[in-house]
Amino acid sequence: MFFSLFGWLLPLKPWAFVFEDDLGVGLFSVGHLFGTDSNGYDLLSSVVAGTRMSIFIAIAAVGLGGFIGSVLGIFSAYLRGKVDTVMVTVFNVGLSVPNLVLALALVSVLATNLDINQAVPTWRRVMVLVMSLTIVLIPILGRIARGATLSWTSREFVTAARSMGMKDSKIILRHIVPNVLPALIAVAFLAVGVVIIAEASLSILGVGIPDGASWGGMIARGRNDLEYAPHVLYVPIVFLALTVISTNHLGDVVRSKLDSREAKV
Amino acid sequence: MAGSGTAHLRNTVDAVLTVRDLTVEFRVAKDKIVKAVSGLSFDVIRGETLAIVGESGCGKTTLARAVLQLPPPNSGEVVFEGTDLTLLPKENLRSARTSMQMIFQDPISSLDPRMTVHQLIDEPLEIWGRGTRAERDERINNLLNNVGLEPDLVLNRRSYEFSGGQCQRISIARALALDPRMLICDEPVSALDVSIQAQILNLLQDMKDRFGLTMIFISHDLAVVKAVSNRVIVMYLGKICEVAPPETLYTKPAHHYTRALLNSVPIADPTRQTRTELLQGEPPSPMNPPSGCRFRTRCAAATALCAEQEPQLQEVAPGQFVACHHPLA
Repeated sequence: MFFSLFGWLLPLKPWAFVFEDDLGVGLFSVGHLFGTDSNGYDLLSSVVAGTRMSIFIAIAAVGLGGFIGSVLGIFSAYLRGKVDTVMVTVFNVGLSVPNLVLALALVSVLATNLDINQAVPTWRRVMVLVMSLTIVLIPILGRIARGATLSWTSREFVTAARSMGMKDSKIILRHIVPNVLPALIAVAFLAVGVVIIAEASLSILGVGIPDGASWGGMIARGRNDLEYAPHVLYVPIVFLALTVISTNHLGDVVRSKLDSREAKV
Repeated sequence: MAGSGTAHLRNTVDAVLTVRDLTVEFRVAKDKIVKAVSGLSFDVIRGETLAIVGESGCGKTTLARAVLQLPPPNSGEVVFEGTDLTLLPKENLRSARTSMQMIFQDPISSLDPRMTVHQLIDEPLEIWGRGTRAERDERINNLLNNVGLEPDLVLNRRSYEFSGGQCQRISIARALALDPRMLICDEPVSALDVSIQAQILNLLQDMKDRFGLTMIFISHDLAVVKAVSNRVIVMYLGKICEVAPPETLYTKPAHHYTRALLNSVPIADPTRQTRTELLQGEPPSPMNPPSGCRFRTRCAAATALCAEQEPQLQEVAPGQFVACHHPLA
């Protein structure tokens, strides 16, 4: 767990493919800890490089989706009335479409050029991927923010703040946001795990990042070599699994830390 | 017998708060409306403690919040020190509210668990920019001393570290921070242990005397009300049954509902036989209240007249008003 969490921070090797004469070296060989794949890419450096892409996409999507989702959720729950009805409907429509299908549709529509012979630049694919995962996440996190806000807004200290003459904007910033945040952060950590998997799934389906720059891409490429070089597939899968497990665990830890005050009540 | 009418209004210049024909409705479904408070009037004179009693769900809390315009009532007027709050624009209302503060039923939920006591009491002062940092700290210390808490011990702690009674003391300190003229206490002691209840009631009484407050005291506990109030309003399903000073109300209730309430107070004497004449059934739904007198469905003395005509408040003894066609002698 620690390795998958912090290991990628340490050896920030240059984004270089190590070309070797011998193709498909096995696990734990000299010079290549995880061996190489059939093209001679060193798996260790690929995995390390893939980490950056996977985690960047996950954090960017969760950050953006979480921010937009919670702003929408908090406002709709605080204002109630028509705004709330519309927002809940939008969230429900978003949730009713299976996540992966929605992301798949968005990516394949947005990340293609009109001229199919022209390659789509990688940065654009990354952006589109982040965007579509963000759109998938907004209703999920928005609903949680809305639910938490509803329960906190009905607390009497909010009424008390109003009777003191506090402005609504300040009530939201001072009383609602700090109380809603712990729940959101906990779910956001879980969402990071989900998004890493979603991104990998998209890559395996062929609409993710091309040229194997992320873990999903590595799995997609390694799949072809499964028969004679299974480790090419296993290495990114193990990393993926460890990362997802550790983000979930981290989410739990963070939540229990933040909730400890509430728990004492 | 719960009825309307304004005969009990005293129309004096001393009235701090006069509420006329206040109605609060909630839309629960497309064409279902709950009338939580319907056409209620009352007034509070400076320095007086007005108690509002009634069983759960009769609209006591809604009434208190409607006075503060949280949310604003659907109709009626709330005249506080000569200004009708229902007509005030939002910004003026914000500052007008500061002279009325509220104490809530649940002491724990009325304090933000993420804030220290210092932040909690500083909050109202900060909103209105009262004084410099040092002056505000001084004021916070004074307030805490007033409510019987040791500032040095509590300032940096958060609400979950305190008991219910202590939380209620903090709430009181916070409510007093803005020098309000009126305090609305919504069941301030019902969530507390009996031994703590007396302490908090005494504290409220002290504060009232010291700062010359006018109080509205909402409760379902008649024993508590007896100890603190100058005038009692008995409510049933969003309407007034009876208005009287506590001495009269407790010895000579004129309304059948008031008598039933008094009979329901347990007596700490095991040798005494349980008294008869306890109320049967549940209060009717406020979505579909009975015609005429709202209490007639549970009243032993109800006649055909009660179903046809809504009783108006009338004076049966000096200071005692009752809305009933067949008042108790």
